[in-house]
Amino acid sequence: MAQQGNVGELLSMLDSPILGVLEDITAAFKDNLICDRGPMLVNNLVDYYLETNSQQALHILSTLQEPHDKHLLDKINDYMGKAATRLPTLSLLGHVIRRQPSWKHKLSQAPLLLSLLKCLKTDTDVVVLTTGVLVLITMLPMIPQSGKQYLHDFFGIFGRLSAWCLQNPGHVAEIYLVHLHASVYSLFHRLYGMYPCNFVSFLRSHYSMKENLETFEEVVKPMMEHVRIHPELVTGSKDHELDPRRWKRLETHDVVIECAKISLDPAEASYEDGYYSVSRKLCTSSKHHQTDPSASSYIDIQSSYGTSTPYSTPRLTLSQMPGQLPQILSPQSSRLSTEPQQVTIWSPSAVCGMTTPPTSPGIVPSESSQSASQPYSKAFGTSAGGKGTPLGTPATSPPPPCTSDDFVHVSLPSAAATPPKKEDKPDSGRPLLHRQQNVINSDKSLDIPSSKSSVTLSDLPEFLGGLSFEDSAEKDREEDAISKEISEITTDAEHMVPRGGFDSPFYRTNESLSGSQKKTHSAASSVQGHSQTSEPLTSLDKPGPEGARETPKQTFTPIDKPCGGPGESPAGNREGTSGEPSILTPSPCKVPAHRRVVFGSGQPPLYEHLFEVALPKTAYLFVGKKTEELLKKAKGAQDEDCMSSTSPVEVLDRLIQQGADAHTKELNKLSLPSKSADWTHFGGSPPSDEIHTLRNQLLLLHNQLLYERFKRQQHALRNRRLLRKVIKATALEEHNAAMKDQLKLQEKEIQALKLSLQKEQARYHQFQEEHDNIVAQLHSQIRQLQHDREEFYNQSQELQTKLEDCRNMIADLRLELKKANNKVCHTELLLSQVSQKLSNSESVQQQMEFLNRQLLVLGEVNELYLEQLQHKHTDTTKEVEMLHAAFRKELEKAKLCVQQQSQRLDASQKRIAELESQLAKKDHLFLEQKKYLEDVKIQARGQLQAVESRYKAQKKITQAFELEILDLFGRLEKSSLLKKLEDDKTEAAEAAEESRLDCGNEDTAGHSEETLGRNGETKPPSTRGSSSSKGGSSSELSTPEKPQNQRLSSRWETSMLLEPSTTVPLTVGSLPSSKSFLGMKARELFRNKSESQCDEEGVSINRLSDALKTELCKDPSMESKASPSPENLSPKLQESSVGQLHIMDYNETHHDHS
Amino acid sequence: MADDSQRNFRSVYYEKVGFRGVEEKKSLEILLKDDRLDIEKLCTFSQRFPLPSMYRILVWKVLLGIIPPHHESHALVMKYRKEQYWDVHHALRVIRFINDSTPQVDVFLRIHQLESGKLPRNVAFPLEPEDEVFLAIAKAMEEMVEDPIECYWLVSCFVNQLNSKHKDSLQQLPKVLEQYLNIEDNRLLMHLKACSAMSKLPYDLWFKKCFAGCLPESSLQRVWDKVISGSCKILVFVAVEILLTFKMKIIALNSAEKITQFLENIPQDNTDAIVSKAVDLWRTHCGTPAHSA
Repeated sequence: MAQQGNVGELLSMLDSPILGVLEDITAAFKDNLICDRGPMLVNNLVDYYLETNSQQALHILSTLQEPHDKHLLDKINDYMGKAATRLPTLSLLGHVIRRQPSWKHKLSQAPLLLSLLKCLKTDTDVVVLTTGVLVLITMLPMIPQSGKQYLHDFFGIFGRLSAWCLQNPGHVAEIYLVHLHASVYSLFHRLYGMYPCNFVSFLRSHYSMKENLETFEEVVKPMMEHVRIHPELVTGSKDHELDPRRWKRLETHDVVIECAKISLDPAEASYEDGYYSVSRKLCTSSKHHQTDPSASSYIDIQSSYGTSTPYSTPRLTLSQMPGQLPQILSPQSSRLSTEPQQVTIWSPSAVCGMTTPPTSPGIVPSESSQSASQPYSKAFGTSAGGKGTPLGTPATSPPPPCTSDDFVHVSLPSAAATPPKKEDKPDSGRPLLHRQQNVINSDKSLDIPSSKSSVTLSDLPEFLGGLSFEDSAEKDREEDAISKEISEITTDAEHMVPRGGFDSPFYRTNESLSGSQKKTHSAASSVQGHSQTSEPLTSLDKPGPEGARETPKQTFTPIDKPCGGPGESPAGNREGTSGEPSILTPSPCKVPAHRRVVFGSGQPPLYEHLFEVALPKTAYLFVGKKTEELLKKAKGAQDEDCMSSTSPVEVLDRLIQQGADAHTKELNKLSLPSKSADWTHFGGSPPSDEIHTLRNQLLLLHNQLLYERFKRQQHALRNRRLLRKVIKATALEEHNAAMKDQLKLQEKEIQALKLSLQKEQARYHQFQEEHDNIVAQLHSQIRQLQHDREEFYNQSQELQTKLEDCRNMIADLRLELKKANNKVCHTELLLSQVSQKLSNSESVQQQMEFLNRQLLVLGEVNELYLEQLQHKHTDTTKEVEMLHAAFRKELEKAKLCVQQQSQRLDASQKRIAELESQLAKKDHLFLEQKKYLEDVKIQARGQLQAVESRYKAQKKITQAFELEILDLFGRLEKSSLLKKLEDDKTEAAEAAEESRLDCGNEDTAGHSEETLGRNGETKPPSTRGSSSSKGGSSSELSTPEKPQNQRLSSRWETSMLLEPSTTVPLTVGSLPSSKSFLGMKARELFRNKSESQCDEEGVSINRLSDALKTELCKDPSMESKASPSPENLSPKLQESSVGQLHIMDYNETHHDHS
Repeated sequence: MADDSQRNFRSVYYEKVGFRGVEEKKSLEILLKDDRLDIEKLCTFSQRFPLPSMYRILVWKVLLGIIPPHHESHALVMKYRKEQYWDVHHALRVIRFINDSTPQVDVFLRIHQLESGKLPRNVAFPLEPEDEVFLAIAKAMEEMVEDPIECYWLVSCFVNQLNSKHKDSLQQLPKVLEQYLNIEDNRLLMHLKACSAMSKLPYDLWFKKCFAGCLPESSLQRVWDKVISGSCKILVFVAVEILLTFKMKIIALNSAEKITQFLENIPQDNTDAIVSKAVDLWRTHCGTPAHSA
């Protein structure tokens, strides 16, 4: 609560008149706002503002930062709901929005927007509606993208308000309606500029309805006459214009400009306050002219010129100045001299509008550069205020002429109208551009030689073309002095004329329309016009006869309806003024307007210059367009009365103008003291009502003003951007120029270098030629010398060959000498030999002689012998013949023998070969035989195995049989032994029975005779082998047998047995027969026997006798004895005994055999 | 080369398609044509392929050494064999071990006993276990061979071979059986062990009698082919295969006695398949069987 109280205190102090306190308080509020994020402070501020309408609170609110925006919007939204606070709330909102807070994008989401729309749809208070619409229009370009969702709300509002304008359901004062109409007109422009397709489709659908048709005809259609066809209508679509991409690159001011571009209405397309003034000035001037043609202080007129520069006035001033105006006279002289300068001044003054002229002209010349500082102008504007010309002129004595000049020039181009307007000014100024530039140039040359002069100079020709020479001429003139003032004026005038013609038909039409230009022309061409121009009507009449003006007229007429003609306009103006005599208080209007001009448009004209400098072509086009607009506007101004296509803005303007005029007029009429009684004095209208109306009107006007200011700010922003671009462009161009210069310099350098290069080359050639010559000489010398050398060389060669020859000859000679010597030696040797031989031969001859003698002797002897021999020859021949024959025969025999021998040899050799082959065959055969034998062996072995197995089987059989037999024997002997025991018992008793027993014994033995025999035989050897060993009975079996056997053996083969008497019983131990001589022998014998038997066996084995069989059996048994299977004792015993028996038996048989 | 040219070029495909025995008969004939029969080759052949029944007896006789490898001596040797048989037969008659009414099998037994010198003293002597084996084999062989003399010789030589050649390995067979059964079907082995039936399996029937009396002759022949050609391991695989074939029934039986009883009297309907499987199993486990094994 303390804080609340604190806040309350602060609020109360907010509007304190003390500056220091005020600043402190504001600072304190801002600090609080930074610290505190709560809504309280903001709410309090809003409340406070609504209560007191405090400017300070408004200032703080409109600069609120981000976190508080929501509270502010909420609060405003709250108040918006209440009808009582709606109007101030709206104005607050307007203030806030116009500051373009950083959070403006949030507006679209805020509920405030909805409630605003709702209010606009439902409210019936015109003031509220107008204010609301203006707020909405301001807001639209800030939220182009996000506002699209409310598009139909916007359209609906437009439809409602347009209908409202016509039907006036609230039955409010017409004046309000004018305001409302203007707002609706702005809304129309905004909507059409931003959403053309959607808007047009809305219009189409909304006004196709019958009940709306009237509205369309009356309200909307005239509006539509003030817009061009939006290019989006051709290229875009409903969706496309809502596309966020379209809006993304556009800032708020871009949007505003976009909307302004499509407007044909100069009032809407340009700033309305400018129009205000123009129209007002028009009114005033016309009024002045008409109502007080003769009188009316020049100051007034002059002021009006200064501020607005209405069409004809400049000419008037031109003409009038020298003669009529003492104040201006002085400057006029200077102006004449510095005409171009004034032209430059014109632009800012025009921009500033009617309000500021005095100051700005002063400034411009003084500064003379485009960078004319704003502060200055601002300061001037603020300080001067009101109608500055009269005031300003005295203040700045040197500039005033400029101002006047300025006006003149301004009026020249802008003759038709609207020089004060920013955009109009350039339009109208276009034709003057060259002039301006010239002026600038001259300025620079005169006052400050600036760097930019070159640029403008270079650019100028592009614009002016043929006018260049004039520029130079101007320059010269300017340089000259004041002495040629008059002539200059004339030239100037001359310049103007061509300029006007040069520019565009519109330009002239403007002139013709206004009529003022004609005057200027006339004034320029001939001085006659000076007096005549004082009256516009006369001037209006004049253009007709003047040929130069006719053509423009013709051109103009087709474009726009000439309507009633210039004559009517003044009338209309007059009517307007008369209709609304004393409503306006000019000061409030003007002050803000003037201020705004100062703020917003201080610079633009400068940019314009640059703009033209930088972009001549587009500028040119732009000029054309603008002039057209201008013209239209002028026409509009003229046709004001007709109102057929008058824009609501103009209507409003005119209303204000008239009000102001009426006011001033009334004021003039009224005595100052009686001002208080003004109202009663005026009309019977009750003051309270009137005051209320006026207040509302004031409010509306204020709103309108604020809106326009906002637009201006947007333009300022844009202009700043453009200036930056222009500066960049110029910088670049300068850079280009510099580069070009450099390029030229370098080219020059290159040229110089090329020249020197050529020189050098020439020199080089010369040197080379010389060098070549020398070289050639040297070469020839060399050649000569070489030739000489070759000759010498040849000579030396010849000499050398000769030398060689000589040497050879010497060598030959030496060789010959050697040979000769050799020959000599040889011959000497030969000689000695020959001499020797000679001696020898001599001795031989002697011997020969001796021998010959001997031969002779011997021959004689031989003859003697031969005689002797022939005597004995007959006997020997017979013997020799016989011997020959004998030898021959012997030889033949030997030969035969040899022959025989050789034949025999051959035969034997053949035989050997045969035998050898036979041997090989035999060997082969042997191999085969061996193989065969092998085969046969195997075969035989197989058979033999079979046979052997069979034999084994046989043996087994035999064994089996023997076993059986022995078994049987055993049984038999048992039985017989029993019998014998009985017999022994009986033997003693019966002797007779003995013999019979023997017989019986014999019978039993006969039963198996051989075995028995063998049995008997076995005993002796066994006993022999173990004769020394034991007696007695080893077995029951053998012992009883013994006596029998002994008996038997003794009986059988006593002769054979060496010791038949031994009666040693048969035992196993007696077997070692191998040691005994007989056993050894028997074994050898058996082996032989068995082999032989084997051989025999092949023939007939079957037929072997029983004995043989037993013999055969004996051998295996002998062998098997070594490892007998331990079976029952008895068979073994039997076996062994049998084996022994067999051996003996075999021995026996062997003996038999042998 | 000559063999190759005579052989059918399709033989490779026969084997691939699964026709066995198409070419074997031919190659066996080629083998038998040799004048001196190559016993080793015959062994290998009989191990690798089933013998055609028309040559089986001949091959057996050759392999068992009843007739020599030379064709010439066949007749002579057979004559000897016959005479030997009749001699022994006669002797037995003489010593009254046999008479006309004696069954053929007994005759064989007596002859064998006599030849091996093991003839009992008396006819009434009780039979030794080996005699039982002989009788079983002889019974089976009697079914296969018509001629009694050939039959006798085959039985005799077969038994002799078992006793001489395979005596050692036959004793190892139960262990081997366990080993392979472990590889083939561990669960079954576990079951048998759990029932403690492993030691009570009819090893005598299987390994000493070589399944004589256990399998029908037609199947038995194929087993004996392998045994005669030198591999007694086939017996193990036949046994394994029997166990595997009747696995479910064996597992169903819990006592060793029942198992043994069942195994001693296995159903005779599916024995061919058993033998075929056993031969395959034997091949897989012993690879290309060497006749020497």
